[in-house]
Amino acid sequence: MSLLSIAQWAQATDFFTAIRGSWDVYPIIMSSHLAGIALFGGTILATDLRLLGVALGKRPVADVVGQLRPLKHLGLTIVVICGILMLGSKAEEYYYNIFFRAKMTILALIVIHALVFRPSVYSRAAEFDRTGVIPGRAKLAACLSLLLWTSMVICGRGIGYIEPPLDKIHAQGSAPATTTAPYGHGSVTARF
Amino acid sequence: MFLAVANPLNSSELIFPTLEVIHIVGFAVLVGTIALVDFRLLNLGMRRQKVAELAQDLAPWTLIGLTMVLLSGPLMFSSDPDMYYLNRSFQVKMVLLLLAIVFQYTIHRKATKSEGQPFRQKLVACVSMALWTGVVFGGIFIGFV
Repeated sequence: MSLLSIAQWAQATDFFTAIRGSWDVYPIIMSSHLAGIALFGGTILATDLRLLGVALGKRPVADVVGQLRPLKHLGLTIVVICGILMLGSKAEEYYYNIFFRAKMTILALIVIHALVFRPSVYSRAAEFDRTGVIPGRAKLAACLSLLLWTSMVICGRGIGYIEPPLDKIHAQGSAPATTTAPYGHGSVTARF
Repeated sequence: MFLAVANPLNSSELIFPTLEVIHIVGFAVLVGTIALVDFRLLNLGMRRQKVAELAQDLAPWTLIGLTMVLLSGPLMFSSDPDMYYLNRSFQVKMVLLLLAIVFQYTIHRKATKSEGQPFRQKLVACVSMALWTGVVFGGIFIGFV
């Protein structure tokens, strides 16, 4: 089973067809995605700026990192759930969308970032407080984190600017035609 | 008197999406930092800090975020003023934005300075979150109404 056929199957399910067919459910999910980004982004920013020594300087690093973690996870959960709902409802379009592919690539880099820097930086914040020095690798982790998440925003916004010509793709017979409900008023090219 | 000159914003297809990204990053910084203070007011996060201290530490970043959205927003508006002006979601967003900003720098600020009024602080946090979430929804729905 190819990724494309999984995408076509997912968006043809009753659940995702209903989301796609409704004019207001999709933007509500998108707004929640963005509100989640604000919460998530706020916690990331505060954590990274603390590591860089430019914000919350009076608080121990371990305090900032540790206390922000639950809020960060809450934001991430909102973002991921809404993201999956949007992806599922227009899965085939996303499959062909170059910005979506780039976004998933960056997401993979973010996972690698977490695997590398969580044991060496984020879990060792108490050590930085004891020695009073924030090592270079912690600052590198913070800079990379800010860079990667900003790239996520750029690619996320980019997704809306591309509308893969599914009609043409289907007509060429390179992919089996699917029966999908017409898109709601909110096309993915919508500006805001 | 207005001169009928072309808006340079519309001369390149990259300018608008760039403004949008600045707008999104800006509001993430703006709303994110306010949300952290709101969660603290609700006693749901950052509990080891005093409210006043956290609010004071994050205030410059809130202002940076606000500056980013208030610079990028009007430029985006200028690319197609007629559309935005008549857009119901945009109108709602502007009202909520005005309320949210005024609330932030009056009642919200006062609540972060006064310790020992837990109910009032929680109420302020809820209103703040509702207003800013409303602004985000208003922004997204501009493209859908």
